Amino acid sequence: MADELEIPNNALSDNFDLKMHGTKKVIIENHLGVTIYEDNIVTVKTNDSKITIKGSKFKIEEINNYNVIVKGNIKEIIFDKE
Amino acid sequence: MLIFKLVYLIRGYVVISIDSNLEKTLNILRRKNISVWDVEKNEKGNKFKISYDDYVKHSDLIKEINDDVSKKGLIFKLNRMKFRKGFSIGLLISIICLFLLTSLIWQVEVVGTNQTNTNKIMRLLKENKINMPASLSKNDMQEIETLIYTDLDLFKFVEVYIEGSKLIIFVREKEAELTEIKSNEPSSIVSAKNAIVYKVIAKSGQPVVKEGDVVYEGQTLVMGIMQNISTEEFLTVPSDGTIYGKTYYNFEMKEEKVRNVNVATNKSKSVYYLNKNGNSIKIIGDKEPYENYNYRENIINLPIISKLTAITFLKATYYEEEIKEVEIDENTALNKMKVSMYDELLRRCSADSRVLKSTINHSEDSD
Repeated sequence: MADELEIPNNALSDNFDLKMHGTKKVIIENHLGVTIYEDNIVTVKTNDSKITIKGSKFKIEEINNYNVIVKGNIKEIIFDKE
Repeated sequence: MLIFKLVYLIRGYVVISIDSNLEKTLNILRRKNISVWDVEKNEKGNKFKISYDDYVKHSDLIKEINDDVSKKGLIFKLNRMKFRKGFSIGLLISIICLFLLTSLIWQVEVVGTNQTNTNKIMRLLKENKINMPASLSKNDMQEIETLIYTDLDLFKFVEVYIEGSKLIIFVREKEAELTEIKSNEPSSIVSAKNAIVYKVIAKSGQPVVKEGDVVYEGQTLVMGIMQNISTEEFLTVPSDGTIYGKTYYNFEMKEEKVRNVNVATNKSKSVYYLNKNGNSIKIIGDKEPYENYNYRENIINLPIISKLTAITFLKATYYEEEIKEVEIDENTALNKMKVSMYDELLRRCSADSRVLKSTINHSEDSD
């Protein structure tokens, strides 16, 4: 519907936005919280799925109600539909 | 992110350390709309940062999570300074006092004259209500220079300048005028130029020319002899008198119709120097960037710094000029030549002579 009306997708849906800066930084917007935070794995819960980021030297740079910024060496991102 | 961190560094932030349940804590804080950053998880423990505003707003919740909090940021450093209010104010006042006191002039020193004249200068300053300590501007110093020069009339040169907290008055005394001592030796007055005599005033000696006589250079005008009326003897005396004569000067001058004129090209380049105690160091720019140029200097004083350290900046600007050949018209050339010729005529005449008549004939060269 958003495409039909030519308006941004996130204006009408609750889906998350994921942005990556190379393999060093990932920004996830519209999340529901962090479920696992370890040095080599970070799992972020979203409205309809779970995002698992695998790699090493992870650090949560910022987390608030709207977005989460994870920095580190990213090797893999897995999306699990709930 | 850097700006974000800088803002929190100024406004203050809190570092919270917890032992376990980091994910749960982060989600609780997220639900309370608290922004968290720099989340670290390692063997030493878990640490994260929140803003001081959020900490104050949700202090009960933070206490439930953990008591181990450390407050950081500029606001806490300033708060600590509040307890040292007296010290801070005292330090500020002492800096201001030191600056004000060092910018004042406390002593006057006169260089280049004796004690009597020094006392006269001091008295003059006192009469004009210039008392120490005082703060003097450049204009004030110029006024003091003029005052000493005009009111005392003892000095041929006066310079006033500040050295540290001292006012130096540098003077050069006027030399006593030498009086002309007339010798008693017999002498005659001779003509220095060819002329037609039109007035003879002989105070001492015998005039040998009269009005209308033509005299030549080296001819005797007044002889140094006088006749004694009673004994009719001739005595040799020193001659004294004034003989007026008319003389003529003929000379030629040339004025070029084509002249070289410097014309500005509107291009300029600046060179900056750092000045301290008369020594300058070049900072930016090249010296003499043009072949033909007009040069101007401008001294830039930095507020406070220049006063304390005597460091100034010098901006030297080179304005490019082109040399162009310009042909002037006949009238302009004639006028210019008239002025030059009159100047030349005055130069040839002695100081106590007068120009009675001057005529100029001109002609144009064919080449």
